[in-house]
Amino acid sequence: ALPESEVFEITDFTTASEWERFISKVEEVLNDWKLIGIASGKPLGKGVYTTDAWEEKSDEISFADFKFSVTHHYLVQESSDKDGKEELIEDALPVSMQDLLCMNNDFPPRAHCLVRWYGLREFVVIAPAANNDAVLSESKCNLLLSSISVALGNTVRTDFEMVHLRKVPNQYTHLSGLLDIFKSKTGCPLTPLPPVSISIRLTYVLQDWQQYFWPQQPPDIDALVGGEVGGVEFGKLPFGACEDPISELHLATTWPHLTEGIIVDNDVYSDLDPIQAPQWSVRVRKADNPQCLLGDFITEFFKLCRRKESTEEILGRSTFEDDGKEAADITHALSKLTEPAPVPIHKLSVTNMVHSAKKKIRKHRGVDESPLNNEVLNTILLYLFPDAADKSSDGSEARPGTSTGNNPPPENEDSNLYTQFKSAPSDSLSYKLALCLCMVNFYHGGVKGVAHLWQEFVLEMRYRWENNYLVPGLANGAPDLRCCLLHQKLQMLNCCIERKKARDEGKKSISSDRSPGDTGKAIGHSGGDSQNDTDKEKGEVGRSWESWSDSEEEFFECLSDTEELKGNGQESGKKSGSKETPNLKPEGRLHQHGNLTLLHPGEPLYVPVTQEPGPMTEDLLEEQSEVLAKLGTSAEGAHLRARMQSACLLSDMESFKAANPGCCLEDFVRWYSPRDYVEEEVVDEKGNVVLKGELSARMKIPSNMWVEAWETAKPIPARRQRRLFDDTREAEKVLHYLAVQKPADLARHLLPCVIHAAVLKVKEEETLEDIASVKKIIKQIIILSSKILRFPNPEDKKLEEIIAQIMSVEATIARARSLKAKFGIEKHDQEEERDDLERFVNCLLEQPEVSVVGAGRGPAGSIIHKLFMNAQRVATTTPLDEELKRSGSSDERRLNSGAVADFPPAAGREVILRTTVPRPASYSKPLPQRMYSVLTKEDFRLAGAFSSDTTFF
Amino acid sequence: MDEDVLTTLKILIIGESGVGKSSLLLRFTDDTFDPELAATIGVDFKVKTISVDGNKAKLAIWDTAGQERFRTLTPSYYRGAQGVILVYDVTRRDTFIKLDNWLNELETYCTRNDIVKMLVGNKIDKENREVDRNEGLKFARKHSMLFIEASAKTCDGVQCAFEELVEKIIQTPGLWEIESQNRGVMLSNHKEGYGGGACGGYCSML
Repeated sequence: ALPESEVFEITDFTTASEWERFISKVEEVLNDWKLIGIASGKPLGKGVYTTDAWEEKSDEISFADFKFSVTHHYLVQESSDKDGKEELIEDALPVSMQDLLCMNNDFPPRAHCLVRWYGLREFVVIAPAANNDAVLSESKCNLLLSSISVALGNTVRTDFEMVHLRKVPNQYTHLSGLLDIFKSKTGCPLTPLPPVSISIRLTYVLQDWQQYFWPQQPPDIDALVGGEVGGVEFGKLPFGACEDPISELHLATTWPHLTEGIIVDNDVYSDLDPIQAPQWSVRVRKADNPQCLLGDFITEFFKLCRRKESTEEILGRSTFEDDGKEAADITHALSKLTEPAPVPIHKLSVTNMVHSAKKKIRKHRGVDESPLNNEVLNTILLYLFPDAADKSSDGSEARPGTSTGNNPPPENEDSNLYTQFKSAPSDSLSYKLALCLCMVNFYHGGVKGVAHLWQEFVLEMRYRWENNYLVPGLANGAPDLRCCLLHQKLQMLNCCIERKKARDEGKKSISSDRSPGDTGKAIGHSGGDSQNDTDKEKGEVGRSWESWSDSEEEFFECLSDTEELKGNGQESGKKSGSKETPNLKPEGRLHQHGNLTLLHPGEPLYVPVTQEPGPMTEDLLEEQSEVLAKLGTSAEGAHLRARMQSACLLSDMESFKAANPGCCLEDFVRWYSPRDYVEEEVVDEKGNVVLKGELSARMKIPSNMWVEAWETAKPIPARRQRRLFDDTREAEKVLHYLAVQKPADLARHLLPCVIHAAVLKVKEEETLEDIASVKKIIKQIIILSSKILRFPNPEDKKLEEIIAQIMSVEATIARARSLKAKFGIEKHDQEEERDDLERFVNCLLEQPEVSVVGAGRGPAGSIIHKLFMNAQRVATTTPLDEELKRSGSSDERRLNSGAVADFPPAAGREVILRTTVPRPASYSKPLPQRMYSVLTKEDFRLAGAFSSDTTFF
Repeated sequence: MDEDVLTTLKILIIGESGVGKSSLLLRFTDDTFDPELAATIGVDFKVKTISVDGNKAKLAIWDTAGQERFRTLTPSYYRGAQGVILVYDVTRRDTFIKLDNWLNELETYCTRNDIVKMLVGNKIDKENREVDRNEGLKFARKHSMLFIEASAKTCDGVQCAFEELVEKIIQTPGLWEIESQNRGVMLSNHKEGYGGGACGGYCSML
């Protein structure tokens, strides 16, 4: 409660001189705030205390060394009341007095207690600045409580009084007793007394919801173990509160305007039957932070981000020993894998593979120690890799499942959410993995389970790489830089697998009529790696055309004929230059390029099959641009930079030459950079207009890089060229990267996916309920998330903010469901009524108090009535027959008829008594008088505002 | 070298081949014009520090090759750019028509949607103009871009284009980040600023 030192609207005349300094300070402040003088205003509209905004400003004043804070609270009114001051009617009462009588804002659902007690639109509170400095002694109080209303030419004033008791005197528990005290306080000299208007509100609390128990089904964890996917499947997020998010329902039954004598309410009898009350309003008390499944899920996943342990530390060091060594020593792995011997294509399915891997792990770890049991693990793996399920007996067959995710179905407005969140498409492997890890973290062993699943995942990736199985659930093509890095890495791996597969398939078809050893020698990669490394250290300086291609002597496609290559290479090497040997067999043609023909032989110009430049993940790209940028901005730097990037150009030129024997640079330019071939209409000697073309000026610059490259290029089709992209090395790099990710790293990588999924989940749940406020918050969450998640290393605090918002939305939806269940909306068959009820329930969530249309007789009212009745029935455990009788004729029964009442005793009784009488004498000006009383179980308060005319007193 | 540099900004120059991207850049950074500038291979890179409204900004400008074939390569460099200069040749309508493709490219590969875009119509010194200034203006307005016509050869509008672009970027909250201890290291440590997303009000510029 507030300390009882509040003084309202002070202009002080009564203080003793020793207080004058204090008083003048108070006056100063009030003057500053322009509160001195006559304030007037229009009567306030209905309910504005709730709908309009309240504001406050404060100052500090000290009395000797005791500090008081002075706070002005006021309702912000749109109209310019201040300007209207001048046109005051002489007799007008100050607004504060008008407010005393105004009945438009009785019983505001949410307001400062002084507003509740006195109905004021504006007031000043003077209270000790420090909370522990409450003014406790009565004498001190009295010194402070020298209060009068805002000056009205010193003629009237209102005394605000307060009685606050723990124990309620019996005579004040009912209306007639309160009327007595009100009348004695006003001490009106007139007879008959002017009528007293009465407003009453009785509040009933419902805590016992009975059969309307919380409908949330706990997720069925055991179902999963049984092989059947139960309540929460992998790939789905759980949703909803585990406890009832609505704790209480408060029903306020109001008689807004009664006149004395109309109603009887004394200590033996009462007319105040809540069913009969003309106004009903309801508010609900929400459980604070109800435990919600989705929120718990994300929170737990987010906690993973702070774990320090590596996967090995969690699973036991021995676990990864075999693979660990391999992963740690890429060079070793690389040379092993680039071994030219045809890769044996195992007739293994994913599950077989997993089992064998597990066996290996089990050797080091007791079977029982596996954080994830077999069934759970297999369920997850089948979910992640659906292609493993439809394995054909022949493992080398292309798996039908591999194309999943290539064409993500349009997600309408959510379709670009992953680009905003930098997560991954919602049908992608990364996204699914994120959900599985989330689930495993929550239900299947926490961080240990996560480490275990990750280990299995990495093994699967390696298996797929080694056996040329594409990873499912990833869009084709280069890594999508708009997705999270982990997703890019997986896409990169897929690119590698794709190329390796194509190469191996080519190899297989050749090796069928060729001894394997032959092919092996041809590829020969002696010292390729070490050479490459040293070159890198030199900062790529001095590298020739191949700088960006890999330095290994490995070729884009396997060699079809070593001899032919050598012969071709030497031959064209000598003859390369402006003139090509025209009798070379064209190779590697893709398609004809329009109607263009070669300039010299006049043959059709063919677009060659080319090598695609290497795909890149964002971290590689960053590295590469750093290297390029480091070359500086000098001419040499620029030249070197161009040289380093010309591998692709050179490769294209070579392909072009191979496809178009006898071509020249002009031909190439016409395909590659058509604007650099300038054509002009000229009139030849015969007078005909002919097109004459030549290279653009910049292409003719002597020894420019294009010319230089063209001269170097040999006619070699793409499939026999050096690989621009070393899939073997890149795949090993990805696999190593994956292997060293700690659970915390994973959680950071995949948190955007989890948030993405959570947002989709709340969106989906919201559409079932259609709650406007939730829609708005979801939009805000999306905006916030896309601001935060797109950038590297978002702050934890900001991530927590996103999660908190998702949790609050979940709680709101859970509350809506709880209320809908309680009000039986689903069971309602009349559509119109159901819609009304639905609106009512939604209002309950968004507004502090909602009035019940039709009070106790409306559809919502009768449901509320039943809810109370059921609760009462149980509370009193009446015999069954009586119960039946009562429920049949509840309307006819009287409240105090002795039988069990439909409603419990009112938890709160509020009464406002008002009248306008002259005080202190019969010839004084009639002024507003008001008394508010509230009675709860352990609290009784009377707040009186009695005005008197001070003219002759 | 950059004690008082407020921030480092990544700027891209894109557009069809031969519209004068490299020439514009050369004019801006070195204030020279070389009629015999070789066609760019891949991407090139230049740095210049400029001062806009008293704020010094270091620009890392990536110049790209316009050829179709290089387009599989160059978009990787779009990543993290705060500003882009889209160039066409006012004497060649086809370079103007292709602008839509470049915008698509930007949208696809750009990692942020609040990147500041400037449209530059180059080669206004030439006589055989094919694209009217109003057309450029209209296009820029339609796509919420800054617009200027320029000539790398005569120096017209070049400096102004870069300055305007930088000013706009600086005015866009969340698009850039104040240089901290990472100063001097340009690309390895450039972190995109937090809290982007807002369009910064520049959408209705024209």
